[in-house]
Amino acid sequence: MSKRIRNIAITIFVIFWTILFHYESTRHFYLEPLVGRPLLKMKFLFPPAGWIMFFNVGEDTGYAEVYGVNADGPQQIDQHEILATRTIGFDNIHRNVLSTVLSSDMQGPFCRFLQRKFPEFDNFLVTAVYYPSIVKAPHKRLQRVVYQCGKRP
Amino acid sequence: MKIFLKRITEIWDRLFLEERPSIGLSFFRIAVALTVGFHVIPTLFNLSDNYYATAFKTYNLHFFTPEVITLVQKSPDGVVLLFTFLFYIFWFFFLIGLWSQISCILMVGTCYYFYALNAFHVGTLSWDILLVTLFLMCLTPYQGDYFSADCLLRGDPEAYKRKRPFYLQRLLQLQIASTFFYTALYKVSAAGNWIKDNPIYYLMNTPPAGVTKYFLLRDWFAVHPTACYIAGITIIICEFSLPFLLFFPRTRLSAIYLGTFFHIVLILTLDVPAIFFFLFPPQLLLFIHPAKIVHWIEVKRRVNSQASQSQLIYDGHCGFCLASVNMLKVMDLFGCVKMVDFQTVGDIQHLHATLTKEKCMSQIHLVEPDGALYGGFEAFRRLCLVKPMLYPMLLIVYFPGMGVIGPRIYQWIAKNRYFLHFNKICQDHACFR
Repeated sequence: MSKRIRNIAITIFVIFWTILFHYESTRHFYLEPLVGRPLLKMKFLFPPAGWIMFFNVGEDTGYAEVYGVNADGPQQIDQHEILATRTIGFDNIHRNVLSTVLSSDMQGPFCRFLQRKFPEFDNFLVTAVYYPSIVKAPHKRLQRVVYQCGKRP
Repeated sequence: MKIFLKRITEIWDRLFLEERPSIGLSFFRIAVALTVGFHVIPTLFNLSDNYYATAFKTYNLHFFTPEVITLVQKSPDGVVLLFTFLFYIFWFFFLIGLWSQISCILMVGTCYYFYALNAFHVGTLSWDILLVTLFLMCLTPYQGDYFSADCLLRGDPEAYKRKRPFYLQRLLQLQIASTFFYTALYKVSAAGNWIKDNPIYYLMNTPPAGVTKYFLLRDWFAVHPTACYIAGITIIICEFSLPFLLFFPRTRLSAIYLGTFFHIVLILTLDVPAIFFFLFPPQLLLFIHPAKIVHWIEVKRRVNSQASQSQLIYDGHCGFCLASVNMLKVMDLFGCVKMVDFQTVGDIQHLHATLTKEKCMSQIHLVEPDGALYGGFEAFRRLCLVKPMLYPMLLIVYFPGMGVIGPRIYQWIAKNRYFLHFNKICQDHACFR
């Protein structure tokens, strides 16, 4: 490839990439409100809503707690036992990865997973723990059962 | 108008098209490979929980199309196992820089497969950032120009100063600078609440299972909301100013220190994916002008060439030794070692009083400037200390027990070296021992 053709190819790519990068960086929170409709998201690359690391941290917080139920009653299962994958340099559980299971869509797959992983329990309670204000009322801890897995088939 | 266009073209050339040494990218390749490894490999330890049919899975439909997700979900466990094996292979090849571009593309392909299979563990915002970086790394083979098996196979002793168009490194610079900028922008606009609220204060007060680690000053911050707010504003100011400080030559070095410090603080205080910590500081180093790195290397080489050098004494009639010496020359970034073929030296004892032809035939020797003589495995050990590309070997050659096993392995290779080459001089193995 001649140097001239190479430079033209690089120039086209750089322009295209730069536009795409900034489009995807601003699409969800800036461009869509501007045009008033959803815009096309580039698949297979870029996060869904830009670079939003910790951009909004509220005073309320919540997480999931899972209880296994057997003849002895409900017993809390350590989240690190549920998700036994260890990560390097951080704790995935503290990142609140388990809160995903609180969605009702997750009931089926998560229950099947729990039943395979913890055969010693007959049933499981998946609960949501909620702190309305961790600064004004740090000890106000609300908890409710989001779903239960039912008796083992 | 013509002058204006000419000026624009000149600036564009300087920014993206000018050829500059690619050594920075080569170093960055190692950081990227380690980051990918640290993130993906732990999830592969427990396939039944994470990727097999028995796993609990979530899917990222923002990222993938439903068709891709459906297709990948059809994978039987055997295919998952195959992709695991392929990931390890291509990841290792990419790490050591063997067929750098191809191994990068194939490794990224396996990463996409696992991401589509289950986004639960691997899929995070930082993973999406890493994939953007990986996409750029797949574009060219520049990252394999040095610190790689590719450069050893090419055998170019000046591979460290190979020049390439700068656009790839520039785009990686722009990526990290823009990420800092947008991260700050989102905090102060859109749905961000860092100006009107006090997110750091909330983070310091999260319950035990929360994202904040128990670092030294956490309890103090937890009862000092004003200090938290000031810390938050300081973070925003740093994130906004870093892109500009990085591109301005006089503040560049300080900005690299600041960005690195920022990520050290991040990993010490929050349970966020360590991708940020492993990837961003090396990416900040891409702001160092590659010509300056090469200049620094050249100065060291010049100083070393004028000083008394170590001498590596090898057998020039052995093709295996010649090939190995050629690789050692490529690895000798700072020009610390002078290669001496004892077959071309009249008086071997001139190199070292205790050396004989028989000794030199039996193994390599390293004579250090102070006159100390090391042979065989010990010589190789000493070489590992002075050649940056051999630094990873230090973990192996100084591993407990290697003092016993290493010399035996070395002796076996040394005795059979004439069979390990295609040197015309010894085609009939007449010079064997």
